[in-house]
Amino acid sequence: MPVSPGIRGQRVIGREWALVTLGFRTRGLALMRKQGTVQWAWIGLLVVLLIGCNSDSSNPQAPVKVYRHAIDGAPSSLDPAQANNTYARLLVPAIFDTLYRYKYLERPYALTPSLAVGFPDVSDDGLIHEITIRSDARFADSPYFEAGRGRRVTALDVAWSIARHFDPASRSGATWLWRDRIVGLEFGRAIRPETLDVAGLEVLDETSLRIHLREPFPTLVHTLATAQSAVVPHEVVEALGVEFGRSPVGSGPFRLIAFDETQATLVRNENFQRGVIDLAAEGYDSDEHAGLGIEPIDGQLYPLIDRLEVQFIPEASARWNSFRSRLGTDLVMLPPELAPSVLSHSSPLRFQEEIARRYHTQATPEAGFVYYGLNFGNPELGHHNDPDQAARNRELRCALGQAVDWSARNLRFYHGIGERFTGVIPPMLPSWDGFLAPDPFDPELARQRWAQAGWTTTTLPNLVYGYQSGVQQAQHFEMFRANLIEAGYPADRIEQKVFPTFAELLRGIYRGEIDVFLMGWTMAYPDALYNLQLFYGPNAPPGVNASRYRNPRFDALFERARRELDPDRRIGLYRELNEQIVEDCVIMGSMVRTRLHLWKRHVHMVPDREIIGGFFLPFVDVEARTTR
Amino acid sequence: MTSNASMVGLLLRRLGGAVPLLVGVTLIGFLLTQQIGPDPVWELAGRSPTPAELTALEAQLDRDRGGVGRYLDFMAGLLRLDPGSSLITGESVRSIVGRSVPVTLALMLPGLILGVGLALALGYLAARHRGRRLDRWIAGVSALSMSVSLVIVVMLLQLVFSVWLGWFPARGWSAATFTDWLLHATVPTLIVVLVNLGYNVRFFRALWLEALQLPSVRAARAYGLSERKILLRRLLPWAFGPIMTRLIFAVPMLLLGGSMVIETHFGIPGVGRVFYNAVLSGDQPVILALVVLTGSLVVLSQVLVEVGVRWFDPRAGTR
Repeated sequence: MPVSPGIRGQRVIGREWALVTLGFRTRGLALMRKQGTVQWAWIGLLVVLLIGCNSDSSNPQAPVKVYRHAIDGAPSSLDPAQANNTYARLLVPAIFDTLYRYKYLERPYALTPSLAVGFPDVSDDGLIHEITIRSDARFADSPYFEAGRGRRVTALDVAWSIARHFDPASRSGATWLWRDRIVGLEFGRAIRPETLDVAGLEVLDETSLRIHLREPFPTLVHTLATAQSAVVPHEVVEALGVEFGRSPVGSGPFRLIAFDETQATLVRNENFQRGVIDLAAEGYDSDEHAGLGIEPIDGQLYPLIDRLEVQFIPEASARWNSFRSRLGTDLVMLPPELAPSVLSHSSPLRFQEEIARRYHTQATPEAGFVYYGLNFGNPELGHHNDPDQAARNRELRCALGQAVDWSARNLRFYHGIGERFTGVIPPMLPSWDGFLAPDPFDPELARQRWAQAGWTTTTLPNLVYGYQSGVQQAQHFEMFRANLIEAGYPADRIEQKVFPTFAELLRGIYRGEIDVFLMGWTMAYPDALYNLQLFYGPNAPPGVNASRYRNPRFDALFERARRELDPDRRIGLYRELNEQIVEDCVIMGSMVRTRLHLWKRHVHMVPDREIIGGFFLPFVDVEARTTR
Repeated sequence: MTSNASMVGLLLRRLGGAVPLLVGVTLIGFLLTQQIGPDPVWELAGRSPTPAELTALEAQLDRDRGGVGRYLDFMAGLLRLDPGSSLITGESVRSIVGRSVPVTLALMLPGLILGVGLALALGYLAARHRGRRLDRWIAGVSALSMSVSLVIVVMLLQLVFSVWLGWFPARGWSAATFTDWLLHATVPTLIVVLVNLGYNVRFFRALWLEALQLPSVRAARAYGLSERKILLRRLLPWAFGPIMTRLIFAVPMLLLGGSMVIETHFGIPGVGRVFYNAVLSGDQPVILALVVLTGSLVVLSQVLVEVGVRWFDPRAGTR
């Protein structure tokens, strides 16, 4: 239908205005362009883009020495009070100081003073520890300090940094480190630095602190090397409140300049002065560390890099791609599923020649282990008041342990490079008992064992297997179910319950909703007590004893072990405790996973994501190169 | 053209009508996060809390109060434009939204605009050559774009441009300079264009086919106008409404849904990543603030489209 030119012309002008703003060339475009509308439209678009551009607070002047690290998850907070995971434990020691740290290269891990001048002076009864701290330690500059200059770190800061965990306002997840250990340190009240009234944390002067213990605490120094024990400046914590975890200020080797869901960027803290590196004292071994290029750092001031970028990359393929790209990260920890891409043999473990030529490589056991936990709160599986039923339950648990094929798990999920062991003390610890042989996988024997204990296919209990949502976790469940079915366990008695997050899985355990769970446990310090606490009765959920195991003999031994000052006697007690766990078939396991690290040739370091966490970062050196 | 007064009236009516919708959205969001979302107390509790510590944490996070009081507090905070702080990180929600929304816009808008521009062109070509080889080729490309998973495209392009060619960083975000922005936004933009191309081309092809049948277009051809003039003077003005509708409605969708996979894989601190983390940790203030933001944008888009279309074509309001 023909359109009236007059009406059409009127309408078209309006439409053309709008089209001009989209950049279309219309008849009216020339007119509008003359009036500068197009320019304004482009300026508008650029403004939107520049708002996005300005959101990056990173320093546009790239320094010369930049190290780009990658980890497989992101910490939600960098407040030491919330440093409950591997990711926070990597970054917190880079930002904050701790009284003690682990030596860079020495293995087994060995402690050395950091903020402290030396090891504590301990009273004969082991109840009083006196610690002197360095007088030259200063916090990084921050607007929250007078004149913006970082002030000196004092003994009061150290004491308050421990005490604040017990103030509910800190939302600390680390009270367990010192709970019932330090005199007068009780959870539940506000703890102010000006009136620090904890009897067990006695500040003698600016550099001296005396810790009074309720009982001997041989692992105290280990706890004072954890990320959770890091020293914070009270005025900054009080000024920022819960946001301190996003904008932390410490006295560590680096200073945080940007932190979001994807990356943390740190630069050298100019106020951190700790002298020069003594490589021999750090545990350098010319055979073990040959070819890594770390020798030149001996005698140099640290930290050695100007800028540290830690990227949080949960997806394995993205992590691998980033590492392989020219502009990507300098290090990757490979997940087991990518092991075939870099290994030529899994036993003995050997990297492909091309990989070994292009990158530095490292294969080390994790400082922890994986195991299947069982719910002792279920009267058909765990504790029972009737001794006969309790004995039948024990036989069932032991039989289940024999039905689980750890070799197959190792092959399927850990590329055959995991290491099987018995109990909860892994081979990396001096208290490991190499004489404890793992039960062999034997489904037929498992069936006979529970049958002899009186279990039949009609009486075997329902087992609820809980896991965090994810493909690999689901596959673990399928393998567990297949193992049990192979041994004759009725398929309809094995249920799965999926939880969206790990925290929800823990809540499920707390509520007693789960009978079987696969758990990975990483040690925060290298002492078997850290693993054995998983089975200490008073630690039942919501505590760390997810199995709800309670055994008066075990608990008594545990209490003796945790205050035993003699190292040899303590190791003996640890072994007894471990044997008790095996004897009672408390868990099904265990296995140590092997960590595979690759890093680029221009980076000189020995990485470690285990106990040592971020303590290796100040010693990382990179060859100076032009950065993007 | 309708009078300004009636336009303002329409605008106010539509915005007023959106209030119950937004209240409903917040209420549903609140109830969902309250009833079936993860418990943030357990996210923060660490590995070995005592019952007393859990109770204290509940009080710290205001979880010990009834839902009604907390909901009303949240709504009051919204009216003050202060939806509180993240339960998990402690960062203010305003700061989270303020830093993540511009990143997502700077990341996704170029892809959206380029993608629509390319799709308009390809759709036009396909419509003009309907049933011929070019049309079939474009249909094939569209089908491919629609069938390939976003994750596959992300991994493939990351591999090609970052690992094999080494032209762009595999991950990360920096827009400190224009060059930085180009380096980090190019591959994600390409992905946005590619994965949306199929849907857009099919939509615009259908649009152009309808437009090419218009009597005014036939008349213009009869008068001997060139194809370029017909496109600029007849087809584009006619298609303006649908094009704008598609563009404007895409923005709120991009903010939450479209950017999540790309931001996660490329390590870009945008809204998608923030929302994903908040959902997994049960971070109610962040979830609700982003739901309200997206809901408001949807409502605003709806109003803008309606007002815009009526302004350009007064008959639209009478149909």
